[in-house]
Amino acid sequence: MLYVLSKITRKYGSRTVLDIPLMEIEQGKIYALLGPNGAGKTTLLNILGFLEAPATGDIFYHSTPVSFFESYLQNLRREVVMIDQHPILFTGTVYKNVEFGLKIRGIPKKKRGIIIEETLDLVGMSDFVQAQAHRLSGGETQRVALARALAVSPEVLLCDEPTSNLDVENQAAVINTLKQINEQRKITIMFTTHYMYQVSSLAHHTFFLDHGKLATT
Amino acid sequence: MELLTDSFISAILLIFSLDPEVLSIVWVSLKVSGISTFFASLMGVPLGFLIAYGSFKGKRILIICLNTMLALPTVVIGLFVYSFISRRSILGSLDLLYTQKAIVIGQIILILPIVATLTIAAISRIDERYRKTAMTLGANRRQTACVIFREARFGIVAAVIAAFGRVIAEVGISMMLGGNAKGFTRTMTTAMALEYDKGEFILAVALGIILLVLSFGINLIFNFFQGRTRA
Repeated sequence: MLYVLSKITRKYGSRTVLDIPLMEIEQGKIYALLGPNGAGKTTLLNILGFLEAPATGDIFYHSTPVSFFESYLQNLRREVVMIDQHPILFTGTVYKNVEFGLKIRGIPKKKRGIIIEETLDLVGMSDFVQAQAHRLSGGETQRVALARALAVSPEVLLCDEPTSNLDVENQAAVINTLKQINEQRKITIMFTTHYMYQVSSLAHHTFFLDHGKLATT
Repeated sequence: MELLTDSFISAILLIFSLDPEVLSIVWVSLKVSGISTFFASLMGVPLGFLIAYGSFKGKRILIICLNTMLALPTVVIGLFVYSFISRRSILGSLDLLYTQKAIVIGQIILILPIVATLTIAAISRIDERYRKTAMTLGANRRQTACVIFREARFGIVAAVIAAFGRVIAEVGISMMLGGNAKGFTRTMTTAMALEYDKGEFILAVALGIILLVLSFGINLIFNFFQGRTRA
């Protein structure tokens, strides 16, 4: 198992937003996470992305217990990348954005250039390599954010409503890319969505989350 | 009215004649203000960044203290620094009183809270998603801080410019700690105060015009950077 979550809870003040007795995630699969607004989907993704610590419970990643210490988490975060529902791009060009994760990993410049070119090509954004990131449309921003995440070759990709603000054309582009990277690179994907057709066309497994409680199909 | 018109015309002529005394006063003002802004920024920007970025006990009270220090009158700072550097006080042996260094020390105290509070405001305005994105892409704390700093850079530059605008126009500290010595510690504002006392308005009006032009330029740059922050 890639992830095992055991007796995980998360509270905001006195309110319990997540209460998961057991959750298992297999490597190389695509998981859909469904649920109404406020069900705890984003909180769960934050925990899986090691961006937020649970209040109680244990997380096992590759059968190793996760301790939520900053220096330890940094290595894990280099394997798991999360894309926000409304991704934000850094000031600068599309190239600089995609380069960020590669640069902090110390990848040589020449190799960075090749990876950036390949990744932007994968999401259909090669023509925008020198475009200013803040001038892109919502769909283009989403695709560049996807390229930025894929450039670092993550083991797990967590997407919070990856198509929520996109037109039909961009939705199809994002969905196709996710399907392609799962098949070719064996990246484990978990995405939240409200669209049932995406679940049926993309996901191998589905989790339902309601008021922080989990149900599986 | 005639006095003002005559003084104004003579002042304009004085400026365009590149009078050595005017140039010397302007140079001292720019030099002292520039140095104090440089050192205040060197301390204030990291201080503001650490306060805004960090989460620690007493953060709110520290921000309240810094905000309170924004209201410090220049004469109070002058008096405070004077009590440390006057001949008979603990730092008297350093002979700092009535030097440009003394003015710089006072001015740093004046603008350090400005730089720090405006830096805090600039950092606090940065979208939380930048931090989260940098972290999820594998950045460590220092790299994440660099991302935040980079995104807030226009706001930080605006903080530095605002601080410079404050010191270039202050008079209390320069007068009390500099002593208004001709060619040495005479700044635009202290010279204007002296000329007014003497009843000589031409030099005062000339310096006033230069100060206003400088302020206009500073505000123009400040506005530009504030605009970039909002964009």
